[in-house]
Amino acid sequence: MESTVESTVAIVTFRDIFQDEAGKKSKFADEFRTLAAQLLLDKQDMAKLGWKDGQKVMVKNDVGSVVVAARTSGDDPHPGLVWMTASPWSNQLLAEDYCAGEKPWAGITATLSPTEESVTQISEILQRMRA
Amino acid sequence: MVSAMELYMLLPKTNCKKCGLPTCMAFAVGLLGREKKVDECLPLIEEKKYEAKLKKLREVMAPMENASETGLIIHPEKCFGCGNCVVACPVNVAAEPTRCGAGLGPQGEKVILRVEDGVVKCNNLKECRRFGPNKILCNACTATCPSKAIEFV
Amino acid sequence: MAICTGCSLLCEDIEATIKDGNVTAVKNLCRKGNGHYQALKTDRTKPMIDGKEVALDAAVSKAVEILKNSKNPLLCGWSNMTMEAQAAGILLARKLGATICDTSPTCQEDLMERIMDGKIPTCTLDDVRNFADTSVFWGSDPSNSHPRHLSRFSYYPRGEKRQKSYEEERICVTVDVRKSATATLCSNYYFRQPPGGDAEFAEAVLAVLDGKIPKVGDKKRMIELGTLLRKTEYGVIFPGPGMLLALQGKMDLFEKLVAKLNEITKFKVLPMPEHCNTRGYYQLMREQTGFINGVSLRGDAPAHGPEQRLAAAAKSCDAVLAVGSDPLAELPLATARALTRANVPLIAIDPHRSLTSDAAKVVIPSAMSGLEAGGTALRMDGVKIAFEPLIKPGKPDLLSDEQILARIMEAI
Repeated sequence: MESTVESTVAIVTFRDIFQDEAGKKSKFADEFRTLAAQLLLDKQDMAKLGWKDGQKVMVKNDVGSVVVAARTSGDDPHPGLVWMTASPWSNQLLAEDYCAGEKPWAGITATLSPTEESVTQISEILQRMRA
Repeated sequence: MVSAMELYMLLPKTNCKKCGLPTCMAFAVGLLGREKKVDECLPLIEEKKYEAKLKKLREVMAPMENASETGLIIHPEKCFGCGNCVVACPVNVAAEPTRCGAGLGPQGEKVILRVEDGVVKCNNLKECRRFGPNKILCNACTATCPSKAIEFV
Repeated sequence: MAICTGCSLLCEDIEATIKDGNVTAVKNLCRKGNGHYQALKTDRTKPMIDGKEVALDAAVSKAVEILKNSKNPLLCGWSNMTMEAQAAGILLARKLGATICDTSPTCQEDLMERIMDGKIPTCTLDDVRNFADTSVFWGSDPSNSHPRHLSRFSYYPRGEKRQKSYEEERICVTVDVRKSATATLCSNYYFRQPPGGDAEFAEAVLAVLDGKIPKVGDKKRMIELGTLLRKTEYGVIFPGPGMLLALQGKMDLFEKLVAKLNEITKFKVLPMPEHCNTRGYYQLMREQTGFINGVSLRGDAPAHGPEQRLAAAAKSCDAVLAVGSDPLAELPLATARALTRANVPLIAIDPHRSLTSDAAKVVIPSAMSGLEAGGTALRMDGVKIAFEPLIKPGKPDLLSDEQILARIMEAI
């Protein structure tokens, strides 16, 4: 099945205890990146897109972009909605006025496309801030 | 949790009675109830044609090897260390009503569940209400777990 | 008994085994708290200037020099510091004419202000344990964010009026976009809704409380919820980031709902800040400046407005002192970029290597609050918790946030 389909989704962020545990010990270790740089999709959305568990995905919007690994969420159905932990990865997509109370909140809009690139490293995220 | 039927499908299904039971289905039930061990099915162990079935049967039975006599098994890699089971366990609460009963960590040695180094550990399982002649189907620990880190096999 | 400063529950029943000044085993810490304790030994910072290790005094002197030369410094972070350190920081900010911001989202402040003003009734976590028969997790997932919340207070423990606890006398309700770990524990009282759907949900609850047909949701279940809320003797709502984001600019509606509930029975609201002493920061700031966050102490009177919000302040400042959190890891890209502008020197005071310390011109290592440095902090419910350090810091010259800020203050 072709896995070149691009898809627009709304991202909702959440807290994950395993990611927080890893982040407290080190934000620079592989463990933190593995747990944080993930995107959780509805099972049917994954099937429609033809993606396997672990598929690298470029997530992009007008704020920025980041490459994370796609997984199934386990709490479908939630078509068109995806979950990302609140992390430096999700912050690459967050508008600076997301909490200013002026716009109604419906998640972070972004497009997803499969990619061969590897998951964005934390050093890359830091570089983008300083660029 | 595996079923007796799934175990039966991995047995010779000849009802040879070498294990001491009349049928392979009875042996499957015995395996599940932990009254019988895989090695008691002699044809399965001795005959080469059952090699694949034996391997699969051992794989399926493996988690139960680690479970306690009450069938309690903990998956520490899933555990949040939240203490829900520590506070819900009726034995814990009876042993330490002002600590576990009130949401705090236990201080004594009579409790069954406690959180150490971030994950739950069990002890004194003979005190668990699922064990012994007056056993009941208590499921306080499994029902209160947010991540299925604690379960009964 | 030791304390854990891993989140705003500030658990005090931690037992730690210490050998040769190191923690070797712990009891009662959740997974997150255990990670926090393990961090005593991971990624610890050293004094640095421009990425090179220097003596502590040199790093402090450089920080003083930067702050002395700045005209519009920004002091940000704050939420993991003790109240004593926060007080020292506010004094420093006053001396420097600095702007003060923490990194929590603005939508959290709105709720906190209404609670601190008394517009929305609140209670303590001990009240929750002793009296609450209905706990509502609205856009919050304490199983992940504050793991011992349900076992210590809101669902499983016995309390004065709740001796039969979760089995017979307590009910948990979760309202969330996703079926979180907490939602799975709330069985048939889980209300799933679309992102941003919280306003409509609030309206629907108001409708059923008035005996009207709700416009959204499974009408039968909403009516059941209405019945549950009406029968509640002492209800508590725990709003989380999900709900606060969705209701930003609409908190009047939430206030109206809580007021309606209080016409019928007792209903309190308890905020769920993430970091261990966000509440202490808000309280101190209010006492000292009149506002809970986003304040400029440049003029004669504290100024508070859109220009003092972190998003704007990050762009207008000419120097940054980050202490008590890792702003670059928590903020949207644009704000993080503003804080790391090339011509804006960044000073990071942090026990650990963080995104902020990696980007900083000056790094000053500090002791971990609660573990290596004592003080007081406010739990999420405002209860003051005092603590002595558990162990002495690994390095003898490792100072607490409070001491570092006092040193900087002295030199200015």
